[in-house]
Amino acid sequence: MMCDEVTHDLDAYVDRELNADSIVAIRSHVSACTSCRQRVAERETLGRMVRSVPYRVAPDRLRARIVAHVQRRRSVHQMFAWAAAAVLIVSIGAAFMFVRSATIQSDALAEDLVDSHVRSLLAAHLFDVQSTDQHTVKPWFLGKLNFAPPVVDLASVGFPLVGGRLDYVSGQPVAALIYQRQKHLINVFVWPASTEGSGARARTIRGFNVRHWVQNGMSLWAVSDLNDAELNEFVHAQQMSPPAR
Amino acid sequence: MRSRGFDEVVLPHLDAAYNYARWLSRNDTEAEDVVQDAFVRAMRFLPSLRDADARPWLFAIVRNAWYSRAARRAGSPERLPFDAARYDPIDRAPDPEARLLRQHAVARIREALEQLPPDFREVLVLREFEEMSYKEIASVVGVPIGTVMSRLARARDRLATLLSSSPLPMERRR
Repeated sequence: MMCDEVTHDLDAYVDRELNADSIVAIRSHVSACTSCRQRVAERETLGRMVRSVPYRVAPDRLRARIVAHVQRRRSVHQMFAWAAAAVLIVSIGAAFMFVRSATIQSDALAEDLVDSHVRSLLAAHLFDVQSTDQHTVKPWFLGKLNFAPPVVDLASVGFPLVGGRLDYVSGQPVAALIYQRQKHLINVFVWPASTEGSGARARTIRGFNVRHWVQNGMSLWAVSDLNDAELNEFVHAQQMSPPAR
Repeated sequence: MRSRGFDEVVLPHLDAAYNYARWLSRNDTEAEDVVQDAFVRAMRFLPSLRDADARPWLFAIVRNAWYSRAARRAGSPERLPFDAARYDPIDRAPDPEARLLRQHAVARIREALEQLPPDFREVLVLREFEEMSYKEIASVVGVPIGTVMSRLARARDRLATLLSSSPLPMERRR
């Protein structure tokens, strides 16, 4: 090893940043070379001199400032966390109440419709217009409702239209369309929907099967003593039928 | 919680951060402001640290805080005047004469260090006071390890020259 190689690695050597082989090489050179030994000693002395300068520690007021900042931030964080938690709880509560009240309203409506269905059977007030012809039933509603209910005949799939009736649900006039499957009657209550289209929702009230769906801007409720499978078939047939002209 | 991590991970390095900032700025008030800035940033960026070693990370933040303050001032940080009267090293040597001599020696070394360009000064501070490895210094300063090594060599050469040429501060002021 030459002196200029030692020069190159001098600082890495005194800083113990060299690998073992290089350390051994420098040591053996330094033990034989007076001037290199001198330079290593000077570097080590210089390091001791620098380290003799006292370390400056942070003043107490700086520490206090930083700790205060941390605590302030932490309390702000906690406040935000609490606020966020509160907002979340209130939102969940509100959403729950909203869904719950919507469900209650919807349940009450379904009850009304079942009542209306039963009444239509008991009071022999099933039809205002008795016709299996959709082109007779549909115009009959003109002038009685401020909307035109979709009237389709589903006789081809086993659900013949038998008539129509004006009914009142939740204080508003609605169209009731009556379909038949064998001995079973199906009341379909129709009025303009306030929400977008949705799939059919099923429930059973006092033994009657109820289906609700939204189609072409109309809210439709089918109520019948027909079994689940056949009522589903009926709803499907309704949904598949093209919008009434 | 993240603030808890701050107490354990960052706060223990407050003295070291201050010492480093003090060497960079050569001014007590400036150093305090730099450290305060740095710790506010460190608190905000603590999640980015993850499992990495906090000390080089924090020192890099201190360094950035110092450089951005210096840039805001739009003046060179090197223009701050040297004020030997501020130096009050704590020394408990029993012999008054030995204490005086040592104070002179320390003041002289400190003055020489402060005369070094900041690039040289900081690698020496990180190496000698913080005993950081070249790799750690490289990550704080943001240069390759080879640059750290050559900077340290040149800084020491320069410091050795300053110390051999400059008289004791007392003599010079007389």
